[in-house]
Amino acid sequence: MYLRILKKDLKRKKTMNTILLLFVILATMFAASSVNNIITVMGGLDNYFRKANMSDHFIISTNGNSDEISKQLSEKPNIKEFRREDQLFFNDTALTQNGKKVAELGNNLMLLSIDNAQLNYFDENNEIIKDVPEGKAYFTGALVVNTDIGIGDEFQLKIGDTVLTLQYAGIGKDAFLGSVMMNNPRLIVSDADYEKFLSDAKARENNSGSIFYINGYDKKTLESDLSDIQGTLFNKGINIIKTSYLMNTLIAGILLIVSICLILVSFVVLSFTISFTVNEEFREIGVMKALGLKNSSVRALYLVKYLGISLIGAVIGYALSVPFGNMLLDSVSDNIVLESDNSVIIGILCSITAVLIIILFCWHCTAKIKKLSPIDAVRSGQTGERFKKKGILDLGRSKLCTTGFMAFNDVLSSPKQFGIMTSVFTVCLLLIMCLANSANTLASEKLLALMCSIKSDAYMTDSDMRSQIMSGGMGYSEMCSYIEDTLAENGMPCKVHAEALLYPTIETSKGKKASPIFNYDRETKASEYTYSEGYAPKYKNEIALTYTIADKLEVGIGDKVNLTINGKTDEYIISALFQSMMQLGESGRFHESMDIPDELIAQTMGFQIDFDDSPDKDEAERRIEKIKDIFGTEFVFDADGFVMQCIGSDVSDMIDSVKLLVLLITVAIIIMISVLMERSFISKEKSEIALMKAMGFRSGSIIAQHTLRFFIVSVIASALSIALCLPFTKLCIDPIFGIMGAVSGVEYNFRFAEVCVLYPIIVISATILGAFLTAQYMKTVKASDTADID
Amino acid sequence: MKNILEVTDLCKTYIINKRQNNVLRNVSFTIREGEMVAIMGPSGSGKSTLLYTVSGMDKMTAGSVRFCGRDISEMNENALSKMRLDDMGFIFQQMYMMKNLSVLDNIILPAVKSDKIKESRKDTMERGQELMRKLGIIEIAANDINEVSGGQLQRACICRSMINKPQMIFADEPTGALNRTSSEEVMDELTKLNSEGTAIMLVTHDAKVAAKCSRVLFIVDGNIKCEYNINRALPLRDRERELNNWLLEMGW
Repeated sequence: MYLRILKKDLKRKKTMNTILLLFVILATMFAASSVNNIITVMGGLDNYFRKANMSDHFIISTNGNSDEISKQLSEKPNIKEFRREDQLFFNDTALTQNGKKVAELGNNLMLLSIDNAQLNYFDENNEIIKDVPEGKAYFTGALVVNTDIGIGDEFQLKIGDTVLTLQYAGIGKDAFLGSVMMNNPRLIVSDADYEKFLSDAKARENNSGSIFYINGYDKKTLESDLSDIQGTLFNKGINIIKTSYLMNTLIAGILLIVSICLILVSFVVLSFTISFTVNEEFREIGVMKALGLKNSSVRALYLVKYLGISLIGAVIGYALSVPFGNMLLDSVSDNIVLESDNSVIIGILCSITAVLIIILFCWHCTAKIKKLSPIDAVRSGQTGERFKKKGILDLGRSKLCTTGFMAFNDVLSSPKQFGIMTSVFTVCLLLIMCLANSANTLASEKLLALMCSIKSDAYMTDSDMRSQIMSGGMGYSEMCSYIEDTLAENGMPCKVHAEALLYPTIETSKGKKASPIFNYDRETKASEYTYSEGYAPKYKNEIALTYTIADKLEVGIGDKVNLTINGKTDEYIISALFQSMMQLGESGRFHESMDIPDELIAQTMGFQIDFDDSPDKDEAERRIEKIKDIFGTEFVFDADGFVMQCIGSDVSDMIDSVKLLVLLITVAIIIMISVLMERSFISKEKSEIALMKAMGFRSGSIIAQHTLRFFIVSVIASALSIALCLPFTKLCIDPIFGIMGAVSGVEYNFRFAEVCVLYPIIVISATILGAFLTAQYMKTVKASDTADID
Repeated sequence: MKNILEVTDLCKTYIINKRQNNVLRNVSFTIREGEMVAIMGPSGSGKSTLLYTVSGMDKMTAGSVRFCGRDISEMNENALSKMRLDDMGFIFQQMYMMKNLSVLDNIILPAVKSDKIKESRKDTMERGQELMRKLGIIEIAANDINEVSGGQLQRACICRSMINKPQMIFADEPTGALNRTSSEEVMDELTKLNSEGTAIMLVTHDAKVAAKCSRVLFIVDGNIKCEYNINRALPLRDRERELNNWLLEMGW
């Protein structure tokens, strides 16, 4: 008998049951894919590092002292083992295709023989690259993103006097240097090809370098123990490498937020739909109770029905969760290996959980069965008990037209129903807004202070110029003068200066050591920068430190520390604390009067150009284009572009692609929810639609009324989202910026037109489109159906 | 008296499970201005279908229906909607009303929608209240529809059907869901309306209700088998008895 009732129910209420099934599929798909992604992303980096065989500490040396470093490392008692990976360094001009650069890159590149690889490198399919055929090369890191070269294409590599034509073999994933912030691309080639370059004496002498992968007994003291090794380009522990993946973490973090929101959205809508369908079945419930069925029997009937629907939905949802989850994961795993070892089990567990949650919802919703009496069946539910007072507005007193009045009155009369839709749309909009604010901030001058720079008209970050300073080809002052003179000759008189980067060893009185990066610009007063506590360094012996490094060294304002620069140790007083994203927050600043000779300045951030005539923005843009032509480089930016370059131009692209993906998902969800909700409303309000038609309301008028309800809901959601957008962004994104060094949060670049106009319009349009198209279905409801409605 | 409704050779066919079901077969009749006509017949004979087809709520398969001189078979959906809104009133067996509106708002809704009567929203409201007062339900004006009795609700439906001063009211078993007292009250109101000049076509099973009309059309298997003119000069009880006798003759 039960089965027969069920069969009849499933057949007769096809529409509502199908809608419920679709929501179950959505919920299961989102839950399974999102939970799987959350687990994958959370443990993702550790898994990746384990698979890549990463070490506790890393040292990069470029100036031919690799043997000396090897010797020092062998003598350190805290070192368990170390691996040396020899490389050849070169810049982007060495890599060409038909005479043109393969990619414009701001950093140096490295050539590595696969036979000498001390890490596991992965290909596009996350398989370890074990062999590279002669004449072929894998690209890693920024090189992959910044080139148009396709697999199988040939290119030329010139190191020293040796030129080789190689064929691009595909993407390589490099755990150590492949992150957006480390950003040193490598070419992985066969040992035979590597040896051809190494046999070139010029290449061997000028371009050799090594990377040391070091494991220690006491990991806590390893960084301090190795800080005295001189002549290194990089000397850091694994934590800094982990942090260098912060941009991936940021994207992954956003993915987590998206996933959590999707789970919330789907289950909120699902609970609403279940409650909605149970309420609609009052007549059947009343009849069954009138016939003498017990509450528990009626409840069991509905539970069996929902169990059946949720089981079917869970199976389909799980099947769909696999491609959906992979699509989301792909957006964050361009340069890392993100794979879940237990995705099948997780997916199945999530699907089972979804079924259990659905049954719990049903259990909760069917508790109302007790309240429904046989009278509900007899009197169509209009007993005076079932409905609370609904009408809020008075048609007689309203100035609205009937369509507008009916729509507003419907929304106000069913606050729960429309409130849930408003909440769902608000969450969806907030997600997009949060992403937009993050992406816009990461590519804006709002972060200039966090990059330890001040505003200039233009910034040059060309790797050739910077490597000339690094190699000693031209001094810091000489390079500044050269740029100034060249620009003056081209009618653009200006002042050129740069943030010089130094890597002193810092030691406290308690013996704590660190190697932060120090900024110093002799043309810019230390007081022009922003500090969070204390005062700007006023004298030569005063420095400012970031919170991150101060915490690490357990020092504060007024404390004295010793700094060793080029073997000379001096005492300095900490005068201020600030926040910075340079080297992920581990940085400091000297007073401008510090006397640092040019030969000690090996690295600069970018050459800052301040034109004498202070041009407006448009003129500055024109001049930037002119400077690009003069110096033959693409690496000339305004402040926004400079910040993006510092953070990694890929990051903004990555966030933009995630933003686009989330926007597409959100729009799809909104359209789907609008379609399913409107279809439910038509089903529920069939009698009213028929009545209105019988009274003489045109179909267009009723369609407009229904569509207007969704418009009202989406406008309210837009208003709420705009109001909550900045607090929500701060809540979600500030902690991520905090890990990057901006511990006190950042000022977000809020683009009003994009955030408050474009996205709300997209969401409102998607809602209206979904509702309007679905509302066309009510044309099938005829005025004469008034006679056939139960 | 002019004809307000002229039905000629009206056919209505449904296709159910690939089988043709002729619900109405060549039905022809007329209703004059101010007339009150009852449609009677066994269940499934096509009474309600006839009412919905001649009122333009359902499409006819063949034939013609002229309402106030206009052929409704040539009217599009929008024109039909306007005709229903301005010139027709409807009363259903179930007291269908908009759940989110008060009783008064339900009554004035067609008037607010229509532009037939040019008046302010306030005047419409007063007219609605006046109608409610006339039908003795003014005390429930501000109530929700779930707070009133079936009889009160059906009288509110009559008010709604009257609000646009229609040429004709179509009622599908208006007393079918009411108890005897409420039923008599509702029929009294309809009779009163009719005496004021509004034509009424109503479908009923109840001879007592039909006895209050001026004519009865008896429909069997989708066709009008016979019609019976009621002498309204006779007392109601006599009319009812004569009608019952006639219905017995018809095999009722």
